[in-house]
Amino acid sequence: MTATPVTPAGPGSRVLFDQLDYDVNGTPTTVLAAGNPDAPRIVFLHGAGTFHGWAFAERWTERYRVLIPHHPGYGDSGDLDGLRDIHDLVLHYIELFDQLGLTADVNLVGFSLGGLIAARFAIEQKHRLRRLVLVAPAGLRVPGLAVDDLFRIPPEELPGRLVHRMDTLLPYLPSDPGDVDFTVDRYREIRTTAIMLWEQPYDRVLPRWLGRVDIPTLVVWGAEDRLLPVDLADSWAALLPRSTVARFPDAGHLVLDESADASAAVARFCDGGG
Amino acid sequence: MGLVDQAEFHFFHFFPYTDLPADHRERASLWVDFSNANYDPTVGHDLYNRYLSEMLLADKLGYDGLVLNEHHNTQYSMNPAPNLTAAALIPQTSGWISVFGTPPNLGYPNRLAEEYAMLDVMSGGRLRVAFPLGTGMEYWANAVNPATARARFRESIDIILHCWTDDGPRSYEGDFYTYRYLNPWPRPLQQPHPECYIVGTGSPETIELAAELGFGYSVVFIPRTVQLQVFDRYRERLAHHGHEPTPEKVAIGVMAYVAESDARAEEEFLPHVMYFFENALRTTPRYLNPPGYVTVPEFRKRIQAADVHGSANWDDLVAINRIVAGTPEKVADAIGGWIEEAGSNRLTLNLTLGDMPHWKVVKNTTLFAEEVIPRLRARKEAAA
Repeated sequence: MTATPVTPAGPGSRVLFDQLDYDVNGTPTTVLAAGNPDAPRIVFLHGAGTFHGWAFAERWTERYRVLIPHHPGYGDSGDLDGLRDIHDLVLHYIELFDQLGLTADVNLVGFSLGGLIAARFAIEQKHRLRRLVLVAPAGLRVPGLAVDDLFRIPPEELPGRLVHRMDTLLPYLPSDPGDVDFTVDRYREIRTTAIMLWEQPYDRVLPRWLGRVDIPTLVVWGAEDRLLPVDLADSWAALLPRSTVARFPDAGHLVLDESADASAAVARFCDGGG
Repeated sequence: MGLVDQAEFHFFHFFPYTDLPADHRERASLWVDFSNANYDPTVGHDLYNRYLSEMLLADKLGYDGLVLNEHHNTQYSMNPAPNLTAAALIPQTSGWISVFGTPPNLGYPNRLAEEYAMLDVMSGGRLRVAFPLGTGMEYWANAVNPATARARFRESIDIILHCWTDDGPRSYEGDFYTYRYLNPWPRPLQQPHPECYIVGTGSPETIELAAELGFGYSVVFIPRTVQLQVFDRYRERLAHHGHEPTPEKVAIGVMAYVAESDARAEEEFLPHVMYFFENALRTTPRYLNPPGYVTVPEFRKRIQAADVHGSANWDDLVAINRIVAGTPEKVADAIGGWIEEAGSNRLTLNLTLGDMPHWKVVKNTTLFAEEVIPRLRARKEAAA
């Protein structure tokens, strides 16, 4: 493992993340880390795009050691050779958690695609977790509730579908919409997402097995989510035995980025007793 | 010894559906999401009959063969299942039938091996096939993952070759397909199997695959000068893998129109060429490149390259592609030159394109057969 102190949480942020580099069973894996190394841990699993920064995690670093791994095939991590489905990432994270010494008392926060990964991880590895936060998680199919398929949304429409207020996203978007590096990075990430979810965007395991996750769980949703409708929150909660739902007004899919209240609520929930 | 003396001329038909609504130009794509409510089966019936008659005319005029291809969810082609069309043509023709072709990874490869073997046996060994990966658009239309399409493509071809060349039954354990008893009946009449091509856009992976398997190679949608570099590279790799780089290994596509004068030919051909590039091919970068369809470095190259799908002007098209319109002499000159520069003696001819009316197809196909092909053959004899 090597550490480089470089990455700011977001534009103008005073928090600098250390970039830690691991080899996870052959996959070069980047983990951003900030906060007191001896503090309780929050692991954040990101969504299908890594471009919108980590400013929402800034407040968490006051009381927590915050660890943000880049999934294989996203951001600064390498590709996972032979990747096929979400469970390959669960296994990847079991190995990474072992390397990071995360054997117990972890607060796991997963957003969107990362919410799906976190839920699947929790089903198998709940003994490592203290609390689970699912932020607008992807992957649950609810009969009668129409959800647009991510791959059907044209890329030019996607920014508008991610946020309630476009100014949330503007600092992270290139000034030239045809910016080659930005477009290629997003292509790589949607490619990785497609490897896992193109044939079946819904996860068949969740409805049957989420009941195993009997640790305190918070389901967070932006009331104005235009990607995964807020109505999904109750369906997740109904399957999670010890869950509560927190909805935040004036926030879209990127609810943590758009609502300081949401980000604060996550920290407060992690502060709570077991 | 020239290449022209062994040149084969194959008549290619895309079977386009051309009765488009007046407002179709407002649509960014006439592929994938262009509603099939715009397809009138009554019009389609007439078009099938017309197009089949045009192919039969080409066979009677002595073209070496007929060529079909496959596309989905599009007005570009009414041949989502070209083997059906091939089966309809077989009893009425005597030349080669080339299915250029079905992406082998869109379905079950044993099934495609069976269908091609049926066509080969039924036709008395007149089948040739090409294996395309399929455009990006096909992956929006079919339930196959574009991000693993290339690996599945390779495995599918491997299975088809086993179907054709192994005495069954055998088992096959792949990453995508598992067969417990691979033992398809019938097996092809041509031994060891019908001649095969890979169709690509010049990517190093497809060149290497064609070279490794000893298959022929054909490229689409890249400029003529780039094609020549690709062919050189392909022949080099073919030799590396121990296969002889004979002229029929490379197939080149030509769009041609023959008339009484150069001006007349251009006037009669141009609107349909423009229709083809501006309308029939019109789609979006997103549909061309579904997630994972190309590697990340290849995607970077593509988004920085010119887009050939949906905008065109005649001079650019003529400079980039093998397009010629003129008197028999002019057309023969151009084609003779292309045969020599590409080192190819296999031509797939687009003598009908886009919304060309039947009378022009008949005129062009007849003049090409009677005035251009004999000129090329005579040229060879003069040179010999």
